Amino acid sequence: MSTMETLNQVFCVVFDDDDIQITPETTANDIDGWDSLSHINLIVAVEGKFGIRFQHGEILTFRNVGDLIRSIEAKL
Amino acid sequence: MLEMQNEDKVYGNIAYACTTLQCERGLGNKTAMRWIDAHGGKTDFTFNDLDRESNRFANALDSLGVTKGDIFFTFLPKTPEQFFAFLGILKAQVICGTLFSNFGEEALLDRLGDSGAAGIVTRKGLFKKIMRIRGKLPKLKYIILIDGDGEPERGVFGYKDLTAAARDEYEVQPTTADTPSVLQYTSGSTGKPKGVLHCHGSLQGQMGTARDVLGLRHDDIYWCTADQGWITGTSYGIIGPWSLGITQIHYGGGFDAQAWVDLLAREHVTVWYSAPTALRMLMRSDETIFTSADLSELRSIHSVGEPLNPEVIAWSRRVMNRDIYDTWFQTETGAIMICNRPGMEIFPGSMGKPATGIEPAIVADDGTILKDGEQGNLCIKIGWPSMFSTYLNNESAYASKFKNGYYYTGDTARRDANGYYWFMGRSDDVINTAGHLISPFEIESALLEIDEIAESGVIGAPDELLYEKVVAFVHLHEGVVPTKDLELKIRLHVSNKASSIATPQEIIFCDGIPKNKSGKIMRRVLRARYSGADIGDTSTLEI
Repeated sequence: MSTMETLNQVFCVVFDDDDIQITPETTANDIDGWDSLSHINLIVAVEGKFGIRFQHGEILTFRNVGDLIRSIEAKL
Repeated sequence: MLEMQNEDKVYGNIAYACTTLQCERGLGNKTAMRWIDAHGGKTDFTFNDLDRESNRFANALDSLGVTKGDIFFTFLPKTPEQFFAFLGILKAQVICGTLFSNFGEEALLDRLGDSGAAGIVTRKGLFKKIMRIRGKLPKLKYIILIDGDGEPERGVFGYKDLTAAARDEYEVQPTTADTPSVLQYTSGSTGKPKGVLHCHGSLQGQMGTARDVLGLRHDDIYWCTADQGWITGTSYGIIGPWSLGITQIHYGGGFDAQAWVDLLAREHVTVWYSAPTALRMLMRSDETIFTSADLSELRSIHSVGEPLNPEVIAWSRRVMNRDIYDTWFQTETGAIMICNRPGMEIFPGSMGKPATGIEPAIVADDGTILKDGEQGNLCIKIGWPSMFSTYLNNESAYASKFKNGYYYTGDTARRDANGYYWFMGRSDDVINTAGHLISPFEIESALLEIDEIAESGVIGAPDELLYEKVVAFVHLHEGVVPTKDLELKIRLHVSNKASSIATPQEIIFCDGIPKNKSGKIMRRVLRARYSGADIGDTSTLEI
């Protein structure tokens, strides 16, 4: 399973919506419920799923799903 | 007041005052709303557009058989249709409830169930949450989707089809000041959220404070960042400014420091109303975002939601060369009660002084009015125009908020010798996180739905960004081991069943929750345990 596919599963769980289909261009404005507080849930879930840790400053630089994937893959 | 100039026709209907009346004043072609979507696309809607679109929605409700006194909700993120629907609902003298778009299904069930809502306007992405609970909502007959097709046999209707078939003229019926208008639910420290019901007469307070406190003038470009699910979003993101014929910016994107500052500069915003948490998030951003932007037309910045800490005002003075005017009000008060405003000397950290016609008092628990400098219950003398008319289906809770001619706000405060009020805290256990009041009871109820949890106690704890953060003490069933996965499960459950703002920011696993002999959770003990303070009298403690 690719990083994108695994990440898509995480999104579905975090935002409680099985129909979510992310792309590298997806941003918080494209997904209902993705606000600054649920973003923390997403980061915690991604860290748990991939067994990685993000730096605080790093999290603030993610502008879309593509940025998140690049960061995940750099840590794997 | 504007509507009094035309009282034989206007009747005091909020939506009429916000639309038709502005057209009659000659402002029909003036931009009422510049809609900016999440990707920066712009659409301007004039007061004529606002009038016609809300008329169509009012006619659509009539065609469905929705009538005066029914309750119809909006459950949408910011979209133009939300504003058209809100105004159309009020034109039809149907009560408009507004829901924060991040509410989960339990929060929705509490609100839609208690109110006996007849219908709801939403969109496909949020529709799923409603369908999961629809079987428990027998009175919910109409679901209108702004981005979907209708299935009338299931009670689902497409907004576009419904409004395309409706006339764009609508005759608003005489609307008295005590006609119910807006319904929003607010949290208490016990029990389910309570439905705060307002009336069309609230217009006087909202219009008056938009003019006198926010200082709105006819040529202003005004931006209120509040979500329409909350009182600020309706009183000052719809009613106050449009009843004065003001051009508003509404933005469909989320928080982004660069995007927000760009918007302030590019759209020449003159008056900006936001919240301390957003301002503190901006404060953490790179200062060059502000220093490189042309904000010369920004005349005043106002804030509401939770106390504005002095550091934010100091930052604003340094980086933006402006004060921020903090204001205070509640869902129940409907409009600003205590405020700082342009022309007043600002004492950072102070709530300010009473708005025109508002008479606060600091009252002891025995009802004695306290002197300056003494801390007590912050109360407001009853009779202001935007005062709520009841808690829906909960008259006893409503009555309990009033004593000796005063409304008890639940906040504690003091007044200084100069007449400035200073917020001191809550007199109950309600948590104020990011400007939203959250009931610990609601979160505890959601936590108990998780199989692994035996009991829980929730408190608010000081937080630099959110003002207060939600802290959950969790006692697990025997044999269950606390893990990171369980922490995540707890966070997601609360976020998706209640709302993202209710999500515990800190989870503390413990061996038991302190209760008194009648089983009430002793949150003051949890607060003391969290802060390391003295627990105090524990004679009534059960464990």
